[in-house]
Amino acid sequence: MPMTSILEKIEQTFAEVSGTGSMKEHAQDALAQHIPPLEILGSMRKGLATAGAKYERGEYFLSELVMTGIMAQDLSIMLKPYLQGAKNQFLAKVVIGTAKGDLHDIGKNLVSIMLSSAGFQVLDLGVDAPPERFTEAIERDRPRIVAISCLLTIAMDAMKTTIDRLERQGFRKEVRVLVGGRPITSDFARLIGADGYGADAIEAVSVAKAALAK
Amino acid sequence: MTTLDHGEPDVVPITELAIDPVHIERLTQTKLLSDASIEREFSFSDRTAEQKMVAATVLAFKELGFELIPAKLSAPDGWNPKKNPDGTATDEWGRILSFDPKCKLWVPTGGSFTSPEEFERFPFPDPQAPGRTFPIVETKRRIGDEIALAGFIRDPFAYAWEMFRITDFVRWLYEKPNFIRHVIERGTDFNIEMIKQIADAQADLIVSEGDYAEKRGPLVPVKFFKDVILPNLRRQVGAAHRAGLKFIKHSDGNLNPIMDDLADMVDGVHSLDPSAGMDIGEVKSRYGDKLVLMGNVSVDNLCTKTKEEIVQETKECLRKAAPGGGFILSSSNSWYTDAKLENCLAMVDTGRKYGRYPIAA
Repeated sequence: MPMTSILEKIEQTFAEVSGTGSMKEHAQDALAQHIPPLEILGSMRKGLATAGAKYERGEYFLSELVMTGIMAQDLSIMLKPYLQGAKNQFLAKVVIGTAKGDLHDIGKNLVSIMLSSAGFQVLDLGVDAPPERFTEAIERDRPRIVAISCLLTIAMDAMKTTIDRLERQGFRKEVRVLVGGRPITSDFARLIGADGYGADAIEAVSVAKAALAK
Repeated sequence: MTTLDHGEPDVVPITELAIDPVHIERLTQTKLLSDASIEREFSFSDRTAEQKMVAATVLAFKELGFELIPAKLSAPDGWNPKKNPDGTATDEWGRILSFDPKCKLWVPTGGSFTSPEEFERFPFPDPQAPGRTFPIVETKRRIGDEIALAGFIRDPFAYAWEMFRITDFVRWLYEKPNFIRHVIERGTDFNIEMIKQIADAQADLIVSEGDYAEKRGPLVPVKFFKDVILPNLRRQVGAAHRAGLKFIKHSDGNLNPIMDDLADMVDGVHSLDPSAGMDIGEVKSRYGDKLVLMGNVSVDNLCTKTKEEIVQETKECLRKAAPGGGFILSSSNSWYTDAKLENCLAMVDTGRKYGRYPIAA
C-alpha cells in the first residue's frame, strides 16, 4: 500500500471517527512500512482538525469528540516505543484542574483529551482544586500553561482567587492562564486577569497554541 | 392538569423541578441539615432525614404557591451506600458519589465499572425492593389533592453515562454498542416497573431527569438516539400513559436535532436551555400543539443577573410561551445553591403578576 494512502487512511479514521480498530490497523501498516511515527502523528492531527471543524459546525457532537481523543491516546500509546529518543514532541506542558468548589470534570477531561491529542503534555490536578494545588504544580512541574475549568457559578470566584495567588507567589509571569466552562465568558476571563478563554474543548486547543506564541 | 392537556388554566402554573436544600432552609426557616450525620449520610434511605426533607419541601412549595411538586425515588429500605476510603460513596447503580458541602448534596462524580464484565457481575438494582417510592408516598400524604405531584425517574441513558467513566462509555459505545444498548434496556425495564409504582403512589405525572444534550447538541450521535435511546424512551412513555400519567422529559442542552422525535413521543419538555440556544418561542411555534413547555428562565441568570433583569426575562418567557396554554413557568434547571433567592422569588412574583389568562400572543 502506498505510504500516502496509509497516512491518508489514518487521517480519515480520525476525521470520520471510525473507531480504534481500523485506526490501529492502519497505524500497524504504517509502522510496518517504516513510516516515521511523527508523520503518523501528523496525519492524526490533520484528522483531528477535520473532526474538530465538524464539531464546530454541529455535524459532530460530544461523544464524537471524546472518541477522537480516545483514538489519539491509543495511537500515542502505540507509537510511544517508536518515539523513544525522538526529539521531544510535546508542544508544551499544561496543568489543568477544575476550580475549588466544583466537582464536575467532564469539561476538564474533554479539554485534557483534546490538548493531549494536539501535542500538549497535560497534567491533571483533578476537581475541586484549591489555588495552592495549582501553585504547587507550577513549582514542581514548570508548565507553560495553567488551565482552570468550572461548570458551576459557585466556582467562578475560585478562578480569580487562583490567579491572584499566582500573582502573589510570583508565578503569574511564568505561565499563561486559560479559563473555560459553562458560566465563563470572555468578559469574565478578562475581568479576572486570565490570558485566554475557550468556549469549548476545540477552541481550548487553538487558544492554548495562541498563548504559546505570546 | 389543564395545562398538561394544552388547555388555558386561570393562571400560568409555576414550579421548580428542584430547589437546593439551602433555599428550602431559607424559605421555611428550618435547619434541615444541621446534624452532621444527616449532612454526610442524607438521601441514602435514611427515612427520618427523608421525611424531614419532604416536610420542608412541601412547606416551601406551598409557601411559594407552586402548582406542581416534584418527588424523587429513593434507595430501598435498609440499603446503605458502599463507603469508599477517599470519602466518596458508591450507590446501588455503581455510580461514585461525592458530597458537595456547599450544596449539601451527594452528586455523581464518576463510575466504578472498568469493564462490561464487571457490570454484568454487579447486582443490578431490584425495582421490586420495597421503599423506593417512600418520598413520593410521603409527599402525597402531605399534599393530598392540593398540588399536582410529579414522580421522578432517571433516564437510563443518564444512568449509563454516569455508571461508567465517560471515556469508557464512549469507547464501548463505538466498540461494544450492543453492551451499551443492553445497559439502557435494563435501565428501561427498571423504570417501567417504577412508573407502575409511582402511579400506585397516586402521582399525576412522570418527569424523566437526566440530560440528553449539552450546549452544542446531543451527547451521543443522533443515530444512536434513534436506534436505542428514543425507542427505550418510548417504552417508558407508553408505560406512563397506560398508567394514566403524563410524561415530561427534562434535558439541558441543545435538543434541536432530536426535537421532532421528542415531540412525537413525550407530553412535555423541560429546560429549553437558553444557554444552549433553545428559544422557547421557536419551540412553542413548532411544537406547541404537541408539547407542554416548561422553563425557561436561565439558571445561570438567576445566579448572576439583577432582579430587574430577571423580571424582564420572565416577562419574555410568558410572552413567548404562555399564550394558548400548555406552559409551566420555571427556571431552565433548578433553584441551584448559587442562585440569588431574591431573583428566584422575582421570577415567581412576575409569573403571578403577568401570568393570568387570557394572555395575548
